[in-house]
Amino acid sequence: MATANMLLLNPLANAAPEPANETPIEVELVRAVLEGDRDGFSKLYSLYAPLVHGILLARVPRAEVDDLVQDIFLHAFKKLHTLRDKAAFGPWIAMIARNRAVDFHRRSRETVEITDELRGSDKQEARAAEILELIRSLPDAYRETLVLRLVEGMTGPEIAVRTGLTAASVRVNLHRGMKLLREKLGFTEGL
Amino acid sequence: MNDDYLWDKSGEPDPQIQELESILGSLRYQPRPLQLAPRRNYLAPLASAATIAVALLAGGVLLLSQNGEASIPSVAIDTTPPARPKVDLPLSFASQPPIKRKPTLPARHDNREAIAAKQQLMFALRIASEKLNTAYRRTQTPSQIKNQHKAG
Repeated sequence: MATANMLLLNPLANAAPEPANETPIEVELVRAVLEGDRDGFSKLYSLYAPLVHGILLARVPRAEVDDLVQDIFLHAFKKLHTLRDKAAFGPWIAMIARNRAVDFHRRSRETVEITDELRGSDKQEARAAEILELIRSLPDAYRETLVLRLVEGMTGPEIAVRTGLTAASVRVNLHRGMKLLREKLGFTEGL
Repeated sequence: MNDDYLWDKSGEPDPQIQELESILGSLRYQPRPLQLAPRRNYLAPLASAATIAVALLAGGVLLLSQNGEASIPSVAIDTTPPARPKVDLPLSFASQPPIKRKPTLPARHDNREAIAAKQQLMFALRIASEKLNTAYRRTQTPSQIKNQHKAG
């Protein structure tokens, strides 16, 4: 299962095909940024911030997510010239976000378990934090797609395009992840 | 379970998924402006460096000129010709009178001017140092800007 998850998470191996005869907007934006257009990067940021936010939310404490999103985009801005395939901005920045989450846990283990203290006092927010914890307890591939779908409000096809995963992989991850989450929440299937 | 709704929000909505969407939506990304590092202004440090250089140069020149005047040997020159062995010189040389040089004395006002110049130089250096500090602080702003939202 773990191996399957790793394969499903590998965006390079499962790059989603772009619609034929259509230059993705990312390509134009990346090109513009490399030519000095900083506004282009703001557009990339607007497009991909929810993706990066979702990837981080699935892995690191909520209190750290916003700062890490900014850090990741600043890093991406500096390193954009290293991106070979301009159409792969999404998978590229998604990988940066995953790596940054790993780094975060490696460097600051002591801050990982303080989410309870940071939960909002609001009942709805507390419930959201509980469910998020349950999602985080799922395997990597499931939790990421579930957060992107249920928290960030992205559809399956959008997740596939943004992350570079195949639509089939995302569909499987959503289906299996949702099944596990229902079990953890005590939901009756088919309700 | 409605897979289509989970997949692309089409078809009949799944109430459980809708409930989860509603609850977890509070954690959704809230748009905030990205603060990229400002373009590095190379002009400010360059201007500071130029100011320092000019100040140093001016101060140095001033000090040198002051010291140059003050450090002229203030010993009265002995105008009497040294005892030399008698040499038979041609008439044209032998008949010339010895050169008389005006003796110079140390001037106290030169010392005061040197001190004043030194003070001016120190003042210029302090200004230049302040400018450098300001330029340094400006280069430190990105991280501060980046973390501004923490305070809010």
